[in-house]
Amino acid sequence: MGKYLLKRILFSIVSLLIVIMTVMLLVFSLINRNVIFQTDDRWNKTSGNDQKVYEYNQFQKYQYLTYTNYTNFVKSKYSEKYGEDNFTTPEYSADLKAIKNAKTYRDNPTVKEFIEKYESEGYEIVYLPQQAQKNGTIKKGYSAYLLAVKENNVFLRLWLYIKGLFTVETTSDVTDPALTEEMRGIKFINDPYGWWAITGSGTTHKYLLYFDGRFPFIHQNWIHLHLGISYTQYRNQEIFDVITAPNGSIITSMQQFPNMIGTDEYEETAIDFHTLTYNAEPTVDDLKNYPDNYTSSSMHRAGLSRLEISFVMGIISTIIAYLLGLPIGILMARKKDKLADKIGNLYIIFIMAVPSLAYIFMFAAFGTKVFNLPYNFATAEVQILGYILPIISLSLPSVGSLMKWMRRYMIDQMNSDYVKFARAEGLSEREIYRTHISRNALIYIVHGIPGSILGSLTGAIITERVYNVPGVGNLLTRAINGHDNGVIIASTVFYTTITIISIILGDILLAKYDPRISLSSERGGGR
Amino acid sequence: MTTLEELKNKNQDELFYFVGNDVVSSEKIIAPRYSYWKSVFRVFFRKKINIVMLVILALIFLIAFIMPIFLPYDPMENVRTSSTFYLSPSAAMAKFGGFSFKYLLGTGQFGNSILYGVISSARTSLTLAVICAAINMTVGILIGAVWGYSKKFDAVMIQVYNVVANVPYILLITVLVYVIGSGFWQFVFALTVTGWLGIAYFFRTQVMIIRDREYSLASRCLGTPIPRMVSKNILPFLTSVIVTLLATELPSYISAEVFLSYIGVGLSSQVPSLGRMIQEAQAAFLIYPWAFWAPVTIASAITIILYVLGQNLADASDPRTHM
Repeated sequence: MGKYLLKRILFSIVSLLIVIMTVMLLVFSLINRNVIFQTDDRWNKTSGNDQKVYEYNQFQKYQYLTYTNYTNFVKSKYSEKYGEDNFTTPEYSADLKAIKNAKTYRDNPTVKEFIEKYESEGYEIVYLPQQAQKNGTIKKGYSAYLLAVKENNVFLRLWLYIKGLFTVETTSDVTDPALTEEMRGIKFINDPYGWWAITGSGTTHKYLLYFDGRFPFIHQNWIHLHLGISYTQYRNQEIFDVITAPNGSIITSMQQFPNMIGTDEYEETAIDFHTLTYNAEPTVDDLKNYPDNYTSSSMHRAGLSRLEISFVMGIISTIIAYLLGLPIGILMARKKDKLADKIGNLYIIFIMAVPSLAYIFMFAAFGTKVFNLPYNFATAEVQILGYILPIISLSLPSVGSLMKWMRRYMIDQMNSDYVKFARAEGLSEREIYRTHISRNALIYIVHGIPGSILGSLTGAIITERVYNVPGVGNLLTRAINGHDNGVIIASTVFYTTITIISIILGDILLAKYDPRISLSSERGGGR
Repeated sequence: MTTLEELKNKNQDELFYFVGNDVVSSEKIIAPRYSYWKSVFRVFFRKKINIVMLVILALIFLIAFIMPIFLPYDPMENVRTSSTFYLSPSAAMAKFGGFSFKYLLGTGQFGNSILYGVISSARTSLTLAVICAAINMTVGILIGAVWGYSKKFDAVMIQVYNVVANVPYILLITVLVYVIGSGFWQFVFALTVTGWLGIAYFFRTQVMIIRDREYSLASRCLGTPIPRMVSKNILPFLTSVIVTLLATELPSYISAEVFLSYIGVGLSSQVPSLGRMIQEAQAAFLIYPWAFWAPVTIASAITIILYVLGQNLADASDPRTHM
């Protein structure tokens, strides 16, 4: 079992990698890359060569390519030679100015060195000559640039993505020289804002691990997951933060700043002191309030995160689906070809055949008109009422499919020999159904349980759109419509991982529930 | 052969005599001629509901394919007169001078006739469903049969399946629509390029179950070649499975088109489609219900009829129901 699982997980990781690579190929090579600038204001404001350099800069950020600017090359060359502080020699300025002349720039030794170095590494040299206006001054945005550009291949992109997937904070993360070696370190403290905490100095975040009264009670800023960065949808935010951060309004409360602790001073603020990060240049106010340089922070926000909203809706509708679907399926099988079975079949046909969009809208219209329930989740006056319609809409199809399969498996089992034998033995119908048929029919149902629980995490596309729910279901579709490559990759990784985990968990659960089923092929069972 | 006349002429004492063995007639097995498909249709038409549904489906097909030829649908017809936008059926008829068949269901976003739009869109949806189902089912079943039968092929294909099944379907379709365009045939391509894989996988499992049945083993021992094994031993057994699959596949393409148009990656605006009509009307579906419910009703009616007919045909194609 252990060996088999290890093999399964390894295979899954490989297939996950191939999926990421396929999606990267699709997204990065098939879609025109300039669409990422469609809604970019900064790109619109720049022009000429500046715009081109900005494009290269953004392309590098989104891992289309790597590029080096000649200016940076010169700067690092002279700072190596003369030190960080006094490299601005006349030689340095002359080298920088050399590229201004389109005819002679290649004669400059530093330019030659730059071109040779990068051409040998497979870079392409791009020269953007300056353009002058009639009066001799340089046109706005058209100063000269010399760049070395190399397209990332898909393997490099994949490698960079995987390398950057997890980062762990260490005490040498902050490069500010003001923070000396003795000041760095990790401490275990009694946390004034929670219970206990492990704090770091030299790490980006102050609170690395902390316990407080907020669900799930243990929180951390130590290990970070970087699924990808959003470009157009959620400007420059990490997708993992987008889906896990609460998105309600800011809530303020009476709190003490770190320097007020021990006094009876309180101030009304929304600052979440557990999110403090290092700030190299604190303001005067910051110095008054904080004992150290950890002064940047984010706010306490009300409400649930995208992931939590989707999960709450998903999990409740899954529970409803199993609580309704299974008993109704069993009832239909017992009353086969009678009225109950016929009504159930009508429902199944309706759910299976009608486009889901149609019945979700039908239900929305019904719930809004008849029960006066809020139609728009985001603007619902009583938040809890906003959940009702989406949850019911979500459970409609799963109830139908559970009914269908449970009935099918029950009927299959009812005709088998062991049932006839049990009947011949004189067992009551109730006993046969409860301890024999249902248990065997459930074997097939068990396999899907982890999938439907974990599947709640991925949200629902139509339901969330119809009811305007800020969940995770529309992450991918909105990203596709907005050409947000980072989000596309991130959500693919997120959805795929959940799918793979739920299939493996389903198999394990199946093997645990039915001892006849063995997952590894050595010990019978498999072919 | 001794006839009755001859018998009478025989000696009356000799009541019993030897009939003799007729070699020719004893070779023939006396049984009614059995045709599989004939009995399938006999069982199928025994249910009155099937006939009714078949007639409705035929009517939908006829109207959807013939009417647009004589009464073409032009969505931009009234686009210049904004007073024609979103008119209820009665208002539309008042606007366009008395009762008219054209405005029986009111007007939509740009003053377009909802009825004509729905009919033209139904044609698109039906064509799409039939073509996609034909391509996906053919490719899926052929590959699935080999996939289930050959263990070497299985080892490769199962890995391909693991990867492709995990690439989000919406992503693949969007990228394809983005790259090759969103016309009708491009959309067919996007739906079929990986669509067959799921069918093939389902079919593989079914073939594997039959492959190791005793009669197949016996047949293999007798040296039956693989093509004949597949065509005579396995495929006939799976006819009802294929029809069941068809019953779920056909309506699923109509639903897929509706879904994809709703999220904004469907057919282009040049092609009239139910999904696009629903998508355009959904924002105001509480205010202008006719523009929304007309395409929804037609889409649901078509999918339900296709599904029920398919399921009943699948039931009928199971030989156990032929008694």
